[in-house]
Amino acid sequence: MFYREAGQFKSSYVADQELFPVKQDRLGIFLIIGFSFIVIPLIANDYWLQAILIPFLIFSLAALGLNLLTGYAGQLSLGTGGFMAVGAYSCYKLVTVFPETNVILLILLSGFISAGVGLIFGIPSLRIKGFYLAVATLAAQFFFEWLFGRVKWFYNYNDSGAIEVQVRKVFDIAVTGPVATTQARYMVVLCIVTVLALIAVNIVRGRIGRAWMAIRDMDIAAELIGIRPLTTKLIAFAISSYYAGVAGALYVFTYLGSAEVEVFDINISFEILFMIIIGGLGSISGAFFGAAFIVLIPILITNLPLILGIPINTATVEHFNFMILGALIVLFLIFEPHGLAKIWSILREKLRVWPFPY
Amino acid sequence: MSAENNTGDVLLSVDHISLAFGGVKALTDINFEIRKKEIFAIIGPNGAGKTSMLNVINGFYHPQDGEIHFKGLHRKQMRPHEAAVQGIARTFQNVALFKGMSTLNNIMAGRNLKMKANLFWQALYYGPARKEEMENRKFVEDIIDFLEIQAIRRTPVGKLPYGLQKRVELGRALAMEPELLLLDEPMAGMNIEEKQDMCRFILDINEQYGTTIVLIEHDMGVVMDLSERLIVLDYGRKIAEGNPDEIRGNQAVIDAYLGVAHTN
Amino acid sequence: MEFLTAIFIQPFFDMVDDPVLFLQVIWEGFVTGILYSLIAFGFVLIFKASGVFNFAQGIMVVFAALTLVGLHENGVPAFIALPITIVVMYALAFSVERLVLRSLVNQPDIILFMATIGLTFFLIGFGEFIFGGEPKMMITEELLLPYDSITFFDDMLILQEIDIAASVIAVIALIILALFLGKTKIGIALRAVADDHQAALSVGVSLNTIWVVVWFISGIIALITGIMWGAKSDVSFALSIIAFKALPVLILGGFTSVPGAIVGGLIIGIGEKIGEFYWGHLVGGSIEGWLAYMIALVFLFFRPQGLFGEKIIERV
Repeated sequence: MFYREAGQFKSSYVADQELFPVKQDRLGIFLIIGFSFIVIPLIANDYWLQAILIPFLIFSLAALGLNLLTGYAGQLSLGTGGFMAVGAYSCYKLVTVFPETNVILLILLSGFISAGVGLIFGIPSLRIKGFYLAVATLAAQFFFEWLFGRVKWFYNYNDSGAIEVQVRKVFDIAVTGPVATTQARYMVVLCIVTVLALIAVNIVRGRIGRAWMAIRDMDIAAELIGIRPLTTKLIAFAISSYYAGVAGALYVFTYLGSAEVEVFDINISFEILFMIIIGGLGSISGAFFGAAFIVLIPILITNLPLILGIPINTATVEHFNFMILGALIVLFLIFEPHGLAKIWSILREKLRVWPFPY
Repeated sequence: MSAENNTGDVLLSVDHISLAFGGVKALTDINFEIRKKEIFAIIGPNGAGKTSMLNVINGFYHPQDGEIHFKGLHRKQMRPHEAAVQGIARTFQNVALFKGMSTLNNIMAGRNLKMKANLFWQALYYGPARKEEMENRKFVEDIIDFLEIQAIRRTPVGKLPYGLQKRVELGRALAMEPELLLLDEPMAGMNIEEKQDMCRFILDINEQYGTTIVLIEHDMGVVMDLSERLIVLDYGRKIAEGNPDEIRGNQAVIDAYLGVAHTN
Repeated sequence: MEFLTAIFIQPFFDMVDDPVLFLQVIWEGFVTGILYSLIAFGFVLIFKASGVFNFAQGIMVVFAALTLVGLHENGVPAFIALPITIVVMYALAFSVERLVLRSLVNQPDIILFMATIGLTFFLIGFGEFIFGGEPKMMITEELLLPYDSITFFDDMLILQEIDIAASVIAVIALIILALFLGKTKIGIALRAVADDHQAALSVGVSLNTIWVVVWFISGIIALITGIMWGAKSDVSFALSIIAFKALPVLILGGFTSVPGAIVGGLIIGIGEKIGEFYWGHLVGGSIEGWLAYMIALVFLFFRPQGLFGEKIIERV
């Protein structure tokens, strides 16, 4: 009843091509953004920010990057963890070399290094497709796991083998390191994720986005209408790796505080793939839905039995998490291959005509 | 032959093209010329090499022998997107649309080569990127009007019926503003009304935009009505060339279609 | 200059200098390679019969081994645990067909692929939930497998009996399978399905049965691989990382070629052992994790269809 587009006429292509052509959607998204920027930092406690919201945002960013590559450009990658590691370790080295520079800038810069690396690992996509490529991206995963674990230069020859984040201030407020408040770290993550999500939306609705989808849906036809397959795929790899790299840098700098290379192992690559499957392949909002879902599952598995008064140990939580994740993936693929984003849009369609059936 | 009288107007000439897959010869020593602004048809029984011929013209297959001259430039090999840059567009026998995208986006994808805004502006969706997007949207809307597919603008093409898909595919090719349009069985599987619509579109395209059209079609009525000149392929060889009347009376063509014992 | 020598000259000197050691390295690579081949073989079987890229093949190896060892740990004698494990693998094949594959028929390949990644996670969680996550010892002795070693050249060349047994069993298994595929009715049906699903359906081959059969066979191959591998190291899901290394074998050999899987497995197995032993130390060691992928990737640039794959002619 309240969600109707009747009476909202478009009189120009500019208006028709708007991000949210329906007025209520526009209002909704402004409310969500306003809420996350103003209300959440005021009311959320440390547990909510640290255990749920910060990882949710960071994983959303990584999932967004993978969705650009896999969901839009159709190039399945199993190496997201590797590219996140590149981002994190480049950021660590950059912070070491330029201690005075604004750390947010360095986080954004480290994404470019990751993008360059992604470009290189995207080159095989010229010759190989589909599963072959998916398997080839595992090369990136295992190579970087090895590189950052073995070559001491990357972690500044620490005895621990871990990278430790030091305190860095922006406008006199500590945003990284042990003394940074969760609120400050949350705001940094939120700003970066918001801006990058907006850029992603813009890219996918323009020429590059259409070229990606064309390559995904039918690469031969795409080439015959003048889309260069290699360039298009490489752009997808680079941009996707940029997002993964920034997500990796944020993961260590604003969430973990210190990390060894194991946090970027193959399981994180799979989890991010699961996020876009559950959230919705080829959908920007899907990345956020999926990330929320997968961040929340282990928390639910841990807390639900506690609430019900059943004791559960951490190992069992881990096992259940794996089982439930695996089963959910299969279920989603069977029943809703387009994920939560599709379910959401079906609900929206229903809402448009509510209370009538159609 | 009439072709010799119009050599100045030749848009594309196919020069001794031979193509083989392993030991199978798909095309053998094919020659013909296509003149500007004509509707040219390639006919022949199934497996005669018609689609292979189109694939050679737009660079998808690389012939072992021979050359293609297009707009005075000649080439032995090129990538398909280079053919697209030069102004060759095509549609496919089995519809090759981008199934996950809407009609609008499919046709907009055809404008790819006309759009130049760099990644920076696209990321902002502002300035040159937005301007370009709107200009091309306007162009695409004209095509949508022309093909009378306004109502399915936002529908994912995977959900459209076959006849409409063919129309969208034609729209995508038109969006490229091609000089040469290759149509591979544009009317296959259509009912009579849909065929009539498609014929009208083809003639209009030819007249309004002056696009040269190469057509593969099995419906002889359509071919004879639409085309100004045609060639006939059989077993990868050219067996006849001429205007519809000449072809109708050609004994070799009649034999090929009726299946007279093949002497090779 | 010294570095270049270390890369391009020194390793070869080392090989010639100590041929017995070189032989030992090749042998180690050969044994690993056989196990890779077995995993890849199970994979190719499923891929050919159902077009499913079964990412879970490596995990099935661990799952099978874990079931066997887990049963034995809980007091089941080894030679009863073995048939029970086979039954479990059948149940797995049956449920995968019923619950996953059947519902995903006609979906794009990539969806099926991702479903098997989901299956991978489920099996890891399920296996650890039932049998616990801590590493276990393979019951080599109880299964009457040899576990001594034989030495040659004054104790310079050491061959583990279990490795020899593994190679022999692998070869026997491959011969049995070849006979099974070539001679039996179901084997012929299976090859028909591999060639063309629809044509096979139209002559009355039941796809569902065939799928259960191939997943079951792959499960048995997984069990054999799991026993052999478990005998060389512990049984735990940490092994799954090693199982991932069967994937480059597939890139190398092609997804549909049985000889490709075997030759690819041997190339990767021997190649990575030699690479690790003679070159690995130059860059800090433990390069086995990714070397296989690099070998496969470089190879792909020259032959994208794999060793024995057929060149694909694309049609429009």
